Amino acid sequence: MQNTYINTLSANHELVLAWTMRIIRARYKQSVLGILWAVIQPIASAIILSVIFTVFVPVDTGNVPYLVFSYTAMVPWVFFSSALTDMVDSLVNNSQLVSKIYFSREVLPMAAMLARLLDFAIAIAILVVLLIYNRMPFAQSWFYLPLVLLIQIALTLGLGLAGAALNVYYRDIKHVLVLGLQLWFYATPIIYPVSAVPEWLRPFYFLNPMAGIISAYRAIILNQALPDSSLLLSAISALVLFILGYWFFKKTEHHFADII
Amino acid sequence: MSIAIQFNNVSKCYRKGAGLPKLIEALGALKDLRTDQVHWAVKEVSFELQGGQSLGIIGPNGAGKTTILKLLSKVIRPSGGRVEVKGRLSALLELGAGFHPDLTGRDNIFLNGAILGMRKAEIRSRFDQIIDFAGIKDFLDTPVKRYSSGMYARLGFAIAAHVDPEVLLVDEVLAVGDYAFQQKCHARMDELRANGTSLILVAHSMDAIRRVCTHGLVMYRGENIFLGSAADAILSYTNMVRAASRAASLEAQVSIPVDGGVSQRITTFDAEIKNVALLNTSRQPITMLHSGSSAIVAIDVTFNKSVIRPIFAFYVRTPDGRTVYSTTTRLMNISTPDFAAGENCRVEFPITVPLLEGYYELWVNVTPYDMSHFYDILERALEFWVEGGNGAEGITDFDAQFILTRDSFPETLPNPQSMPLVVNHE
Repeated sequence: MQNTYINTLSANHELVLAWTMRIIRARYKQSVLGILWAVIQPIASAIILSVIFTVFVPVDTGNVPYLVFSYTAMVPWVFFSSALTDMVDSLVNNSQLVSKIYFSREVLPMAAMLARLLDFAIAIAILVVLLIYNRMPFAQSWFYLPLVLLIQIALTLGLGLAGAALNVYYRDIKHVLVLGLQLWFYATPIIYPVSAVPEWLRPFYFLNPMAGIISAYRAIILNQALPDSSLLLSAISALVLFILGYWFFKKTEHHFADII
Repeated sequence: MSIAIQFNNVSKCYRKGAGLPKLIEALGALKDLRTDQVHWAVKEVSFELQGGQSLGIIGPNGAGKTTILKLLSKVIRPSGGRVEVKGRLSALLELGAGFHPDLTGRDNIFLNGAILGMRKAEIRSRFDQIIDFAGIKDFLDTPVKRYSSGMYARLGFAIAAHVDPEVLLVDEVLAVGDYAFQQKCHARMDELRANGTSLILVAHSMDAIRRVCTHGLVMYRGENIFLGSAADAILSYTNMVRAASRAASLEAQVSIPVDGGVSQRITTFDAEIKNVALLNTSRQPITMLHSGSSAIVAIDVTFNKSVIRPIFAFYVRTPDGRTVYSTTTRLMNISTPDFAAGENCRVEFPITVPLLEGYYELWVNVTPYDMSHFYDILERALEFWVEGGNGAEGITDFDAQFILTRDSFPETLPNPQSMPLVVNHE
């Protein structure tokens, strides 16, 4: 399965790239701030959260400023949630194309994810600026970032491919996703540290693959530490979800044009 | 020549009704549906096409024409039968599908080319040809949303037609363009076909089918009604439309619009054309005559209802759809009598035929005195061949002679260069 996926991927990589460029170009056409919008969202959220959790309800984040603490988690989270949302909509939004022209259907959700990856890269660049400003060190632990990102992408692709296919059948998926992401946001250590989670809850808490992933980002970037074992659990569930999601997508794709 | 397309006993069915689609159907197909819940978009259709041949698919709306194209291009999967396409396929089901309105012409060429399966290097090597064909050189960096619909269509066709496909599918998209654009598209299709590309064309224009296609397939409600040469298929379709509208009008005793695709027209059959023939001067039916000779257009008409002063008409057209001659008894200022139900009559138009060599079609019709609809119309009632004309080219035989005078001009002629410029106020 992994193999066929890589084959189709390389055969279609030019189309995926072309489609990714289309999304990126079109997204910021006729907008004054353009690509800046990619960072405004996580920064704005982080600032709002900083005000709430330093002024109103102080949260202990050690010697890391709350703004940096929350922005570090907000960047991968926004990548995850926006990529997932775009992927789920990608087939339905291009129904004209899906029902008229044959091409590998996974191109559309793949490109939707990749277009958000660019936003992620820009947001990370801002994070680096923020770290330098706060005189925080960079350690060798940063070499683990690509691995964490890869696990996150596998998870996003698995859920996104399945969601995109399901959305072709039932448009409820879109609404379920909005609600689901909202709950998921609070079930993930973004606005609070993992230390705030009660000890007895932790074994269940890390069944959420995003909990392990976000913790890993924080460990690497803020504590200059290696990710702990919770990332392994995230990696396994991400891989399983990726295989299942991709399998489901391939199983249903021949039917898309009939019902979209 | 090798077989490029094999369409083997192919069916495609859909579930009727507006209920939610069943996910389970994707995983297990339509198995346990009762037959009355199923709509057959295409039912047990077979044909094959060799490299360089072209097939025109004709039929009224809902006949399954587009479904066949979608099956061929793998957009949808057949419910039964086998579809085989050898070589690269390019499908033009919608002009500019996948264009993003905000992106420039240049960006959209690369994007659309990629969707149609071209690699970036291939697109680059054909880029100039594409913009040349589309005629958008000066608008390459303009967003396509500012294009005129003609430019949009030209660009869409240009990209699909330069994929260098081994099989090209075209779905009546050519109807959107102007005459010059259509000519250009036809020329490009001829060129592709000469290079061995197989072509499948869905068109409502019989003239386009006749121009471009070698073979014709007539579809009706998902089923194959006729498969043969393009000319025979067109004839079979024309007859089918006429027979269907006749049956419906006799049954309902009302006038019904005929969806012939050609035009929305009403045929009542109050007067019915029974026979049509071209007679020579010794009153023998002919299908071939010599340029400049005389003939008679003879039409037998039966009146199913009483009819007041009907108008009889005939016209002659070239196979590519140009009207060469058209007249009616009204234009001739002839007042025809009234006819009673059950009456028969023979109408004759003696003619001389100053046409040059080639095939021509004879069309005839009968209409009420106010020409509000048709009593009956026979498209391509017959085809005839004109020979002679001393090898001149064109349509009309001017019967040119030649005189040469040396050393003097017989009279003074106006000099074209000194004539005032004629301004055309249109």
